[in-house]
Amino acid sequence: MQIYVCVKHVPDSAANIHVIDDIRIDPNLAFLLNPYDEHAVTEAVKIKEQHPEAEVIAVCLGPEDAENTVRSALAMGADRGILVQTDSIFDSIETARILHQTITDDGVPGMIWTGKESIDAEGMQTMFRIGALLDCPVATNVVQVALGDNKAVVDSERVGGVVYTYELDLPCVLGAGRGLNTPKYPTFPDVVKSKKKPVKTVSLDAGASSPDGASMKVVKLEPLIQTRTPKAMTGDPDTIAREIVTILLQEAKVIS
Amino acid sequence: MTKKYDAIIIGAGVIGCPIAYELSKMGYKTLNVDKLPDAGEGSTAGSCAIVRAHYSTADGVAMAYEGFKYWLDWENYLDNVEDEKGLAKYMNTGSILIKSQGHDWKKVQRNYDEVGVQYEEWSVEKIIEHVPVADLHEYWPVRRPEDPKFYEEPTQMLEGAIFCPEGGYVNDPALSAHNIMRATEAKGGEFIFNAEVVDIRTQDGKTAGITLKDGTQIDAPIVVNVGGPHSYLINKMAPGVWEGCNIKTKALRHEVMYCPSPDGYDYLNDGYHMSDGDIGCYVRPEVGNTFLIGSEDPECDPQEWVDPDEFYSGKGGHGRDNVLSDEQWKAQCYRLGKRIPSLQVPNQPKGIVDLYDCSDDWIPVYDKSDLPGFYMAIGTSGNQYKNAPVVGRMMAELIDACEKGLDHDNEPFQYKFKYIDRSTDVGFFSRKREINYNSSFSVNG
Repeated sequence: MQIYVCVKHVPDSAANIHVIDDIRIDPNLAFLLNPYDEHAVTEAVKIKEQHPEAEVIAVCLGPEDAENTVRSALAMGADRGILVQTDSIFDSIETARILHQTITDDGVPGMIWTGKESIDAEGMQTMFRIGALLDCPVATNVVQVALGDNKAVVDSERVGGVVYTYELDLPCVLGAGRGLNTPKYPTFPDVVKSKKKPVKTVSLDAGASSPDGASMKVVKLEPLIQTRTPKAMTGDPDTIAREIVTILLQEAKVIS
Repeated sequence: MTKKYDAIIIGAGVIGCPIAYELSKMGYKTLNVDKLPDAGEGSTAGSCAIVRAHYSTADGVAMAYEGFKYWLDWENYLDNVEDEKGLAKYMNTGSILIKSQGHDWKKVQRNYDEVGVQYEEWSVEKIIEHVPVADLHEYWPVRRPEDPKFYEEPTQMLEGAIFCPEGGYVNDPALSAHNIMRATEAKGGEFIFNAEVVDIRTQDGKTAGITLKDGTQIDAPIVVNVGGPHSYLINKMAPGVWEGCNIKTKALRHEVMYCPSPDGYDYLNDGYHMSDGDIGCYVRPEVGNTFLIGSEDPECDPQEWVDPDEFYSGKGGHGRDNVLSDEQWKAQCYRLGKRIPSLQVPNQPKGIVDLYDCSDDWIPVYDKSDLPGFYMAIGTSGNQYKNAPVVGRMMAELIDACEKGLDHDNEPFQYKFKYIDRSTDVGFFSRKREINYNSSFSVNG
C-alpha cells in the first residue's frame, strides 16, 4: 500500500511575520513542516511499522526551500518525497488538483493523509477537495485510526469534543488532528539516515498539473498585531486564586 | 527638584543589583535605573544561569568557586529578605566537564588544584553510569550541519571527564535579580524602571549625574555602568570613558535551545550540567524535562554583532533579530544529538535569543574609568551570571577604595574573598589591559 502524506511548508508561528508585496509572507522567515502534518507523518509511519509492505511518500507543493520541509518528513520516517516546485501561491482548489494529479501520477494511493489544517491559511478544505477528485471518503480531525480489510475505522473529533467513529473504504483521505498521536521527532541518527532518501522535484510548469486559472486569490495580507496587556496580581494566594477564577468565569468564559 | 544620590547604578540586572546591595550595606544611598519594567528583565532573564567552576584562568576559577558559597546560602546572603515573587533556587546537579580537544581541560584541572576546587576524574564507563543516554565517541572538530563532514562516522572514543560535585544552575535568573533588588531596598536602596539614560553629566571633569530620556536629571558623584548589552553605548555617553578603554565591549547575539529529553530519561531530576567542548555545547536541565542547549562558540559558527536596540525591537532580519534561526537550532540540537543519539529534535525551534555584552577577550571589565566617579562592570560575555554576588561585593569595595583615594590603575585593588582563602588582583579585569590570550575566547571565559 502506498500512503501519501501531503505536507505544507508554513512560516514558523514564533517568527516575526513580515508581509511583502501586500500578498505574501516574507520567504526569508523560518519555514517548517505544518505542525498538524507532523501528526499525519507520525501516523503514516506507525501504520507502515504494522504493515511493512507499505510505503510512505511525503508530497509538498511549494518553493525550492520547501525541500527542507519534505526532508523533515523523511527524517520523521517517510520513505521518499516529492516536491512540486512553484513560487506561485495557490488556493485550496488548485492545491488539491495539483496534489491529486501528482499522487495519481506517482502511484496508487491506499491512504492520503493531510493535517486537519495548515497554520498559515487555515483553509481546512484541501483534504475534502482531494477526496472529491479521487472520489473517495474523507474524515478530518482524526484522533484514532485502525486499518481493517480494505477499510479504515477512524475516530473523528467534532465540535465540543464529540467523537464520531466512521468506517471508510480505502482509499480514503484523512486529516490528522492533534489528539491522534505525539509526533515522533527525528533523532540525529534518523536525520543521517534520511539524507540518503530520495526527493523527486517536479517543476509545476513542466506539466505536473494545469490548473485552469485562479479560483480564489489573496488580495491583501495584513499581519495581526496582538497587543498584550499583562496585569500583575497582588495580595495573598487566596485573593489571587479568587481573582483568577473570576477572570476565567467572566472574561475568558472558559469555565462555568 | 533634582534628586541626589551617593551612587547611581545603570542597570538592574543580576550584576547591577548586587553592586547596589553591597554599596547600600556600606552606607551609600543608591539608585538603580533600568529602561525595562522590572529587575532582571534584560539579558539576565535570558541567561542560562549556570553555576560552574571551570574557567581558563585561576582567577576565573577562584571567583566562580567563591560564587557557589553565595548561591548555596542564598537566604542568608539576602539577609532573609522577603520577596513577594518567592526566592530563586540554586539546583546543585553537579557539573561534568568532558575531556576534549575543545577545552583546555588540563589547564582547568591545574586551576582547580591551585584554587582547591573539589573534583573527581571520571572514565567513559563512569560517565555512562551517570548519563546512560550518552554516546562517548569523539566528534571533534565541531562542524555545522551544512558541512557534509558533520555526518561522518566517529572512530575514536573520548577520554573521560572531570566532575565537580558542586555545580548546577539557578532555576530563575530574573527572579534572582529581583531577590537582590528587594534585599537592596531593605537596606535603603532605590530603583526606578522604564527609565532610559541618555546622558552622563559631568562637572569640573568629574561625574555629576545622569539625564533620563524624559529630561529628568538625577545627580550623584558616582555612576556605575552595568548596562549589559548596552554597556558600550553608555560608555560612549561619558566623556573620555569609551576612548580610555583598551578593552571594548559589543553586543553579540546568541541562541539557546530547549529540546525534550529522550523518552524514559528523567533529565530534570537525574541530569547534570555538562560542558562538552567536543561538540561545542553545554547543557543543563530545564523544566518540562527538557535539555537547555547552549553553544560554546565554536569557530565554525557565525558571530552576529548587533545593535541592541534594533535586536530587542525585532529588527535586523533573519539571524540578526530576536527570533531563533532554523540553522542554529539544527546546529546545536544535532550536535547534542550526536552525544545523545536518542534525543528527538522537534521541527519547530524553541529557545531563547538574547545578547552577550561581550568584551574583546571574553573576560569582563570590572574597573574605574578615565572619568573620576564613573565605574563599570561590563563585558560579562555570557559567563558571569554565577559570579554576580561576588562581583557586587568586589565592585562595591573597589568603588569605596577609589573614592577614598586609591590609585587603582597603578596600585590595583586586591579583593579578599569572603569565603575562600584567597585574594584576587582586580587589575586582572582592568579596562587598560592588553587582550588576555589565556582566555578561551568563548562563553567559557
